[in-house]
Amino acid sequence: MPDTSTGVVVIGGGSTGAGVLRDLTMRGIDAMLLEKGDLASGTTGRSHGLLHSGGRYCVNDLAAAIECVEEGRILRRIARTTIEDTGGYFVSVSEEDEAWEPRFVEGCRKAGIACERISVEEARRREPALSTQVRTVFWIPEDGHLDPFYLVMGNVESARRRGAQVRTYTEVTGFLKEGNRVSGVRTRDAMTGEESTIACQAVVNATGAWAGFVARLLDVEVKVVPVKGVMVVLSHRVAHATINRCHKPGDGDIIVPALSVAILGTTAVKVPHPEVLPIEWDEVRHMIEEGSLMADGVSTARAMRAYAGVRPLYDLGAEAEGREMSRNFAVIDHEQRDGVAGFTSIVGGKVTTYRLMAERVTDLVARRLGVTTSCTTADVPLNDRGDEMDQLRHRPAKLGMPKPHGDERALQPLLCECELVRPQDAEPWFRDPAVRTLEDIRRRTRSGMGPCQAAICAYRLAGRLVTDRHQDGPTATRAMADLLETRWRGVRHVFWGSQLRQAQVTAGLHLELFNLDRQLMQALPPSLAGEGRGGGFETAEVASQR
Amino acid sequence: MKADIAVVGSGLAALIATRTLQQAGRSPLLIWPGLTSLYFTYATVDVLGYADPTTAEPVEQPEAAIGQLIADHPDHPYALAGLDALRDGTALLIDWLRAAGFTWQGSLARNLLLPTAIGTPKPSCLVPASMAAGDLRRDEPIVFCGFAGYQDFVPELAASNLSRWWGRGDQAVRAIRVPLPGFDGTRLFTSIDLARSFEDDAFRREVAGRIRQQIPADGVRIGVPAVLGLTHDMDVHSGFMAEVGHPVFEIPTLPPSVLGLRLFDRLRKHIQESGVEIIWAAPAHAAEVSGGRCDRIFLKSAGREQPIDARAYVLALEDTVDGALRAGVHTVSDPFFHRSLASHAVPTERTDESLFNPQPFASIGYPVTDRLQPRDDEGGPLAGNVFVAGGAIAGYDPVGSKSRGGLAIATGYRAAKEAMAA
Repeated sequence: MPDTSTGVVVIGGGSTGAGVLRDLTMRGIDAMLLEKGDLASGTTGRSHGLLHSGGRYCVNDLAAAIECVEEGRILRRIARTTIEDTGGYFVSVSEEDEAWEPRFVEGCRKAGIACERISVEEARRREPALSTQVRTVFWIPEDGHLDPFYLVMGNVESARRRGAQVRTYTEVTGFLKEGNRVSGVRTRDAMTGEESTIACQAVVNATGAWAGFVARLLDVEVKVVPVKGVMVVLSHRVAHATINRCHKPGDGDIIVPALSVAILGTTAVKVPHPEVLPIEWDEVRHMIEEGSLMADGVSTARAMRAYAGVRPLYDLGAEAEGREMSRNFAVIDHEQRDGVAGFTSIVGGKVTTYRLMAERVTDLVARRLGVTTSCTTADVPLNDRGDEMDQLRHRPAKLGMPKPHGDERALQPLLCECELVRPQDAEPWFRDPAVRTLEDIRRRTRSGMGPCQAAICAYRLAGRLVTDRHQDGPTATRAMADLLETRWRGVRHVFWGSQLRQAQVTAGLHLELFNLDRQLMQALPPSLAGEGRGGGFETAEVASQR
Repeated sequence: MKADIAVVGSGLAALIATRTLQQAGRSPLLIWPGLTSLYFTYATVDVLGYADPTTAEPVEQPEAAIGQLIADHPDHPYALAGLDALRDGTALLIDWLRAAGFTWQGSLARNLLLPTAIGTPKPSCLVPASMAAGDLRRDEPIVFCGFAGYQDFVPELAASNLSRWWGRGDQAVRAIRVPLPGFDGTRLFTSIDLARSFEDDAFRREVAGRIRQQIPADGVRIGVPAVLGLTHDMDVHSGFMAEVGHPVFEIPTLPPSVLGLRLFDRLRKHIQESGVEIIWAAPAHAAEVSGGRCDRIFLKSAGREQPIDARAYVLALEDTVDGALRAGVHTVSDPFFHRSLASHAVPTERTDESLFNPQPFASIGYPVTDRLQPRDDEGGPLAGNVFVAGGAIAGYDPVGSKSRGGLAIATGYRAAKEAMAA
């Protein structure tokens, strides 16, 4: 007898899974999302946050480019607050780049991407950060920044308001079957080890780079190629608009101003497992060198951290490798293909096209369930029932400019000074059972994502675990240490210049003032499953490579 | 600009060196490179908290333990400076604190064990008198008191941790929270806000009354965040303690450190009023060396480069915080002699995988002679009239051993003595 039941189980808490969950509930289908880590902790939250105009794909992957154009326009309607309309530049810095230009212009025309060639003088007037090596500039008004965390939370909150359930840190360990039909899933809590069964009529496998592991539990094959991308975060925006190299997409050829920081991306390296994502020094160096070709200030800006994400590229059987592979997605109907009814996978794709991916897979699932309601996600905004989203997630602009006299509220102390997070922005998340670690709070508020990398706010957040969640001190202190450790893992890769000064302040605070050194750390409870450690399919082999 | 002896630095080592020179009748020039770590984290003078990196057992008798450390590790900066420099420097600091209007407690003979804002016990040697009642070797139960609207001290977190780590049972530690006068439920306070407010008698009495209401029993002591006054702290502390009716002790908080601000601002003011010249916010960035001596150093001041010609120099900088070291991508170098102090194939070599383990970068600094002169490749002095003190000395990491303050005192004092003789 299953412990609980739902209509459709969606596995995977990235943008695709969150989009599917919302789409299902908007068609009146009861649904539950299962995620083995936190929401947006896999591919989505580790993307570079580019809202693709399609310009990067318009030459080599026209179908993907056209999807980006259409979905970008839809997202501007339905997810307004997750997007910053920066616009973007495609710049040539070499003769090879210039040779690419006619194909780029033609690709933009075919895909319907607005593209305007502007003079270098005019470009530099608009964007003084452009390097002196820039020879040609195209202005692509529909490039932008898409906040991947906010996007996932927005979809999930919208679905929850319609009755969807969400379980984080819940790993699927097996399936219940009736004949050739999937009738439920077995789960295990990645932190407590508690096991559970959930009955359902259908399962959507939206686990991206992990899709093959989930499918294997049913003895069916889904070939996903995990391709690592390394990114470097700079402590300020560097440029007003996104900057792309106008060439065949390659390593280190994109700069995305993202909220208070800039993100340099990226590399493309096939990896043996989606959780084995080593950051190599050559990748970090290459990113900074290539970024410097496009924008002044990249090499002198303070690099704050490096991180790696994994693309879930779907192997269509062609010979293509890494970046050559299509960014297109595929819905796999396992009933038709493998004779396993009630199980559907959605693979490939990208964050920009998450909604379309969700629509396609939900169309199939709904049809099989006999639901004829059509998709409305292209028209109904995420925050369609009031502005809860805006209240839950602070935007710097909401603080307003501090007034020189009188307005004390504008000058309130903050929970996280680096990212301008107010205490009330974090408060609701401490009441959310899906939030289990301080990393989860970080993903929902940006607390700890700025230059001090949680050195200050970690203590305040740990205090909230005791006062708001009634955790004991050692557990809350462990959560604080875990947050600092995950930040530290990214900081280490760019450890030069001001980073050493920052690290001295961090050590002065946590190791000297709080005396939280190794000896006392050993008296704390063991580390919780956190970022990239959500249990799941990590084998001993994978663990040894970490 | 000509000077007798130039001291470069902004931390405790620079202050000790300057005071040592002044007390010896010399005319030191203090060159202050920028914001000091005193503002961020300094609260106490830690001399030696842990004897070795593997033990969790705090040192009880720092002077004796340092004697042993010197015997075991003749290259340790404590050995180079000598135990006498630590003793004499500490005596000088205690006298100076008294002269500047502070009351501090502690001695080299015995460490105190004080609760931190997160509820860990921490060994410290010299502490402001307002912290001393927190000593965990005493048995009275502790009540941590936080303030509604103040997020930088969480009494519940400190109490929960300390009750597990102190070993006096669950009843020995508890937490209370009192609302502050004028707190309307939305406003938040910083440490500085509160420290200023506590200098107001009416405010302080009101808070004391609210605390008293929540603590009916005698025989407890009250731990509060270190916000009891910014400039008149001794009066604030004694007045507040009388009004609360229990012993009260301060606990250092997140930055800005009110304890650090008090200490530094008053020592700086005191030394300046007694005639020491200070050059503000001028990072030193080059030195001219000829014939084995440093002729001058150069400061970056507004719009120009300022040469300083001194007979001797004390470089009392604290690692990278105030510019003792320049960290490039592969090489860490010094700003004066432009020598490579460490090189790394990849930046990750500078750190341990865990933030909470000893960090390789923390040990980078100037290798020094037994007179604390920066050493050249052959082991001799790079410049006979330059002496290094504090965190910029290579080869040790004061973080794990909790010895930053004591090392600053010993090396600052010794470097000043050597500079006088140079």
